[in-house]
Amino acid sequence: MLTTTGIKRVLPHRYPMLLVDRVTELVPEERLTALKAVTCNEPWYEGLAEDADDEGHGYPQTLLVESWCQAAGVLAAWDKPNPDVLSGQVMLFGSISDVVLHRPVYPGDVLEHRVRLVRALSDTVIFEGEALVGGETVMEVGRVVMAMRPAAELTAAREQSPAAQPAGVQ
Amino acid sequence: MAAPAAGPVRAVPAAGPVRAVPLLDRDGADGAPRTTVRIDADERVFPGHYPGFPIFPGVCVVELVHRSALATAPAPGARVTLRAVESTRFLSPVFPGDRLTVELKWTRREGHWRCEAVAATDRGRAATVRLRFTEGSTPC
Repeated sequence: MLTTTGIKRVLPHRYPMLLVDRVTELVPEERLTALKAVTCNEPWYEGLAEDADDEGHGYPQTLLVESWCQAAGVLAAWDKPNPDVLSGQVMLFGSISDVVLHRPVYPGDVLEHRVRLVRALSDTVIFEGEALVGGETVMEVGRVVMAMRPAAELTAAREQSPAAQPAGVQ
Repeated sequence: MAAPAAGPVRAVPAAGPVRAVPLLDRDGADGAPRTTVRIDADERVFPGHYPGFPIFPGVCVVELVHRSALATAPAPGARVTLRAVESTRFLSPVFPGDRLTVELKWTRREGHWRCEAVAATDRGRAATVRLRFTEGSTPC
């Protein structure tokens, strides 16, 4: 089992974007099960209209995908952690496909991400799986492709972006 | 845009990871609908993605496509609900200060709507995204 500190040794994500709480099962090169508890004090609920209905309190679907992908990231990198995005090889998601969203997720739900490794090539890993709440599938993930790339590719890209400009120039 | 800490917090109808709101700059009447949105450095995802090296998360690009899709949905008089991310490819990173444009193409499929989108910064394509929606909001 990996607790939050163990997960933080593997993933570079931090608050508020660290979206995996605990890893309950990890079979190297094969599969992983992780938990993520959803609460209404996550920052995504800031500014929500006072009269928002239950639907409005649905956990953002894109973050559900992100949370699952982070669980996949732990399976990909638990034995070669590099929680620094500025050096070495970094994990990037190349593509995500066939993600089916079955039902909304709400504060109070505990997500159980089940990740299976489909194929691992030298610098690319392919995953599939699902997310459950209380034993019910809330999301199916058909295929996620993760690539390991030199950090230099990212830093070079940033040099061309507004983020590289001195303050006030943008 | 100034940091929102000192000002009134804008009430939003649904929770979401991105503060920025895509603006419709072509309504689709004479071409595919298009939105633009500026990714400000004060987006709340940046401190954690990643510390010291802010990159706009790929799923947040998908989120902006999702919101752009909701704003341009062709279903007459009906709201649409996201049912599937059929595919998304991440082609280049998005950084604070980038302006993102989202070009959308809606097609009616059997029993649902498909929205294909290309999101791009000034440096080129950042992601291609294909989403599936159904009319109404009842959970499957």
